Amino acid sequence: MNRLNRLVIIFYTLFLFSFVLFSYLFLDPNLFYFKKIYTGFAFTNRALVTYLYIFLVLTSFLFYLLFLKKKFNLKLLVGITCTILFFSYSAMLSQDIFNYLTTAKVIFKYHENPYLVMPIELINDSNLLFTHAANKLALYGPFWIILSAIPYLTSLGNFILSFFEFKILIIFFYLGTIWLINKISKSDYSPLLFALNPLVVIEILVGNHNDIVMMFFALFSFFLLIRKKILFASLFLILSILIKYATIFLLPVFIFTVFKIIKKQKIDWDGVFFYCSFSMILIFLLSAFREEIYPWYAVWFLTFSSLIPQKKMLLLVTLAFSFGLLLRYVPFMLIGSHFGITPMIKTFVTFVPVILAIIYGYFKKIYR
Amino acid sequence: MAFEIKKMRKFFLIGFILFTLTLYPNLAYASSSYVLPYPSAMPGSLLYRPRLFLETLQKYWYFGNLGQFKYNLKESDKYLVEAKTLFEYNQYLHASSASLKYSDEFFIRTLPFLEKAKNEGKDISEMRKTLREASSKHIEVLKKLSNELPQEFEWKAEKEKPILIHIRKEIEKSISIRTKYL
Repeated sequence: MNRLNRLVIIFYTLFLFSFVLFSYLFLDPNLFYFKKIYTGFAFTNRALVTYLYIFLVLTSFLFYLLFLKKKFNLKLLVGITCTILFFSYSAMLSQDIFNYLTTAKVIFKYHENPYLVMPIELINDSNLLFTHAANKLALYGPFWIILSAIPYLTSLGNFILSFFEFKILIIFFYLGTIWLINKISKSDYSPLLFALNPLVVIEILVGNHNDIVMMFFALFSFFLLIRKKILFASLFLILSILIKYATIFLLPVFIFTVFKIIKKQKIDWDGVFFYCSFSMILIFLLSAFREEIYPWYAVWFLTFSSLIPQKKMLLLVTLAFSFGLLLRYVPFMLIGSHFGITPMIKTFVTFVPVILAIIYGYFKKIYR
Repeated sequence: MAFEIKKMRKFFLIGFILFTLTLYPNLAYASSSYVLPYPSAMPGSLLYRPRLFLETLQKYWYFGNLGQFKYNLKESDKYLVEAKTLFEYNQYLHASSASLKYSDEFFIRTLPFLEKAKNEGKDISEMRKTLREASSKHIEVLKKLSNELPQEFEWKAEKEKPILIHIRKEIEKSISIRTKYL
């Protein structure tokens, strides 16, 4: 490793540490387990925190572009990122982790079916103080609930332990996905493209969203399909669907590919992954009709698009989405409301970078 | 390759249409505080046995004491509506000897599950309220039936001994079961 690279890594490490510290500014006031380190800073210094957040997002993209341009040790970078961000506060940008924990509690502590009993029905439970969407039945598939038993049961009811064990579970699947991307693409570039994408890093290693688990199983399914193991591939795709349902949109591509395998026809795997990316972009966009487009949904298509970096326009669009989606947090961070001008700004920051990227890509193609 | 892309497009188009169709379900909610369900598959219908089978399976899906409470109340509602429909079609024997009886049996089981849940430290206040509302609604339906139906009825099946059905008595018994849970 040359001196410059070493310096970049030192700065990157410092950057990650600052991100960890920054995440704790968002501690929920009702999360009494962390009350000793609660400052309420993010809620009383909104403008400053917003500027800091934008600065951190921009810095993370600068590092990302640098990692893509220069030769860096992927394992080292991923290792540093996982280790440091393991200590971050997961509910910095979204409270999903509390939802995972509380749903696991409904079934494994209270022995009630989370698809029939809402957390809010367990009125005296302490998790209700900080769990959002407690008035909803289980939002995720049964396989996710089964997987959530691992961190919940091994923590023996200790909240802090289960909180960090969920992080370990997510990191495990994040590493698994990187391994699969490496195996499928047979390159170091694709895993780097995915693993260090700031959106992936923030939403998966900080936010700990289970979308990475769903995508791991979906990718594993295609990995098995490449090896013509149709039965196991189908099983893993089903498992993926049973985590968060979104990968049901991969079924047309999956069935089509299976059909070609059975017919012993030649398969254009880049084409398959292109259509997988396209399917996941489609469901990602359609999610706006259901509730809203959440930034971590981008992991659905980033997993596949990172396998085909040669598709420049797709790469540009997915990177633009990654950037824009991380800015969706800005209006709420600044204003403190999900209403008023917030939805409009969210739409603006999500789609303007994509439109600009498409225009840029189009002109680059013409004048090349 | 062009042929493949065409095929792929077809796949996506079909998938997209199916998905958008599921996006806009037409849901209607009644305004009453406690609403009984519509009658499901009735005895004699081809779907009756599959319905019973499905309900047996659901018993395991509704695990946990709160789940079991919900299951028993749901079943009790369902059989009450079934009994009401059968009474209206003069099917007195099945209505009183089966449907109403099942509704009673399921109803009796509701409160013990709530008590078990309470013993586990779960707050049951909202569900207890639901049970009271359900009891009132059941009693309202049963009283209406009691006024409309004959006190007794002699059921004569072909080549079998006639059976005297004490309709009013059966209904009063059902009302008294529900009154206890008010």
